[in-house]
Amino acid sequence: MVEVELYGLPRLYAGAERCAVAAGSLAEVLGALAQALPGLVPAIVDARGHLSEHARVAIDGRRLLDDPAEAIADGAVLVVISAQAGG
Amino acid sequence: MGVFRRLLHVHLAGDRLRCEHVPIDDAITRALIGGVGLGAHLLWRYAPRGVDPLAPAAPLIFALAPLLGTPLTTTAKLAVICKSPLTGRISDGLSSSRFALAAKRLGVDAIVLTGALDHLSIVHLDEDPTRARVEPCPALAGASPAEVGEALAGRRVAAIGPAGERLVRFATLTNDGRHAGRGGAGALLGAKRVKAITVHGDATPPLADPAAVRERAKELARRSLGAATDKYRRLGTVANLETFDRLRILPARNFQRVSIGRAKARRLSPEGLRAEAGHVREGCAGCTIGCDHRFGGTRLEYESLFALGPLCGIDEPAQVLAAAAACDRLGVDTISAGGTLAFAMECAERGLVPWPIAFGDDLVPWLEKIAAREGIGDLLAEGSRRVAARVGQGSERFACQVKGLELPGYEPRTMQTMALGLAVAARGADHNRSGAYQADLQPGVDRFAAALATTPARVIETEDHAALLDALILCKFLRGAIADPWVEGAELLAMTAGIALSPDELREAAARIVALRHLYNRREGWTIAEDTLPARFFDEPLEDGAALSRELLAAMVAAYHEARGLGVERLPARERLDALFAPLDLGPWAEGLE
Repeated sequence: MVEVELYGLPRLYAGAERCAVAAGSLAEVLGALAQALPGLVPAIVDARGHLSEHARVAIDGRRLLDDPAEAIADGAVLVVISAQAGG
Repeated sequence: MGVFRRLLHVHLAGDRLRCEHVPIDDAITRALIGGVGLGAHLLWRYAPRGVDPLAPAAPLIFALAPLLGTPLTTTAKLAVICKSPLTGRISDGLSSSRFALAAKRLGVDAIVLTGALDHLSIVHLDEDPTRARVEPCPALAGASPAEVGEALAGRRVAAIGPAGERLVRFATLTNDGRHAGRGGAGALLGAKRVKAITVHGDATPPLADPAAVRERAKELARRSLGAATDKYRRLGTVANLETFDRLRILPARNFQRVSIGRAKARRLSPEGLRAEAGHVREGCAGCTIGCDHRFGGTRLEYESLFALGPLCGIDEPAQVLAAAAACDRLGVDTISAGGTLAFAMECAERGLVPWPIAFGDDLVPWLEKIAAREGIGDLLAEGSRRVAARVGQGSERFACQVKGLELPGYEPRTMQTMALGLAVAARGADHNRSGAYQADLQPGVDRFAAALATTPARVIETEDHAALLDALILCKFLRGAIADPWVEGAELLAMTAGIALSPDELREAAARIVALRHLYNRREGWTIAEDTLPARFFDEPLEDGAALSRELLAAMVAAYHEARGLGVERLPARERLDALFAPLDLGPWAEGLE
């Protein structure tokens, strides 16, 4: 399983702080996330698992991902955040 | 409202003032737009070379912008420019307010204050310069900006708090509860013995294309309510803290740590703050976004939250809110106040000073000592760089400042594009004139490893983008709703001021603004040695090994200045100046450097 943590707006939209979904490609993982937490659609992800321009996803809190085909292994932790930073 | 093509020069002396209108050539607007660009030009022109920032001759400049006074959302802003008493370099702060709108109705594009009064006074400015006057205000000595506003109810007011009167080097200039916060503009007003400025007028210059402005205003307002700004509306920038804690970006305990732990970060999240203190949302004058989140009545955004919270070892929401309210009341910059106190706390923790201060302490009594320059507060009022110079014993390596300006809330070791942005920023460690943190949070950028080949260009791009928005002036929180800022910026400038620039020419203008800031600093003694970070960030890796290479940063700084067209020597070659500043009258400019 892949653990997904949600912060800021993604957490507000989802109404949840975290969610576990099956491993797979990034698009598959985010698609499963959208099914589990439909409040994320469409502001954060679309139903096909594509990330909105207003959100970012980092693996293990470090590298930001943008390739929908990238494999996300069992045990990985994804962090979903808003795209806009600063202030 | 376009531009008036003139400024108001206010000469202060004794207990009087004299006002003078001075024309502004269209070439200046074409070359530097307005706002921070116009302000940089006026600082060059009106500040004597090498002037003490707190001397009467040092100008304090309010630079207005072409979009100010139009129905376009987020444009009710002005820029305040001076030679910073904290850094000795250029300082330009922005703030939003009805004061900005009223200032434009004076019928000018800028206000330049020079000289000083003999007694603490209010300066009343009017569209009719013969009606401008000075009103002594001994009863307002020590008053907060809010109290000054109440005393002058019905007028549009910019004011300083007690910290400005006492020449605290990071005192703010406040209008409508908003601050031109960084760099100590409030101390300049205090040095001029001006407690407050009021503005009154009815001037309304024609817009170049009023119908187009009205139509664009509707459309921009619609965009401003979209997904790109939802974070600012619904949560505010305080939401950054918990995210940054998770990404190991959050500076804590004077940049000794990058996280305070999930539970503590949650208490300082929007949800945690609301639960603790209650919440209301407001907005700036003329803004449709409404990002102004108040908790328990106190306005709070990320920078104040980080600086008065984790940076000082504080994770109690009530303590942070009390400190933020005190900063508003006293008129001090939250980032520099927090940064200086955090530095003092670490000095005490290491036994370098006998001061009774420790991480986690209530900040309010210390802020009051700073604003009153009482006891140790008198030294802390000088900012962390000067405190470190006094403390010595190697403390300079953890005085977290650049050019004397305390760092904002981004850890340079885990945001290495930002590290370069902080090092080269003309006003010192800065997150507003450079948005380099945005590059670090883009896919495809390794924020733990800067690269000489790519990082300087990323920093330049974000600086130029910020310069455009700060010259027009448009709020940066709108940036996500603007597809191509160069195209839309050119359209907005044409329909308001009637000045036709291509998107490429606008890019050149933005780059020129940044270069002009650097040129001013070079005139005032800058050398490339000051474009660096404190030794802590090179010599003290984080627990996961993240560190910044001193050699790489130095190489990137040099590459940045080469790419900016100024080179690494203090005095650029004449041909470099000609290339950068061709639209302006270069003769006197170049002579000023020699």
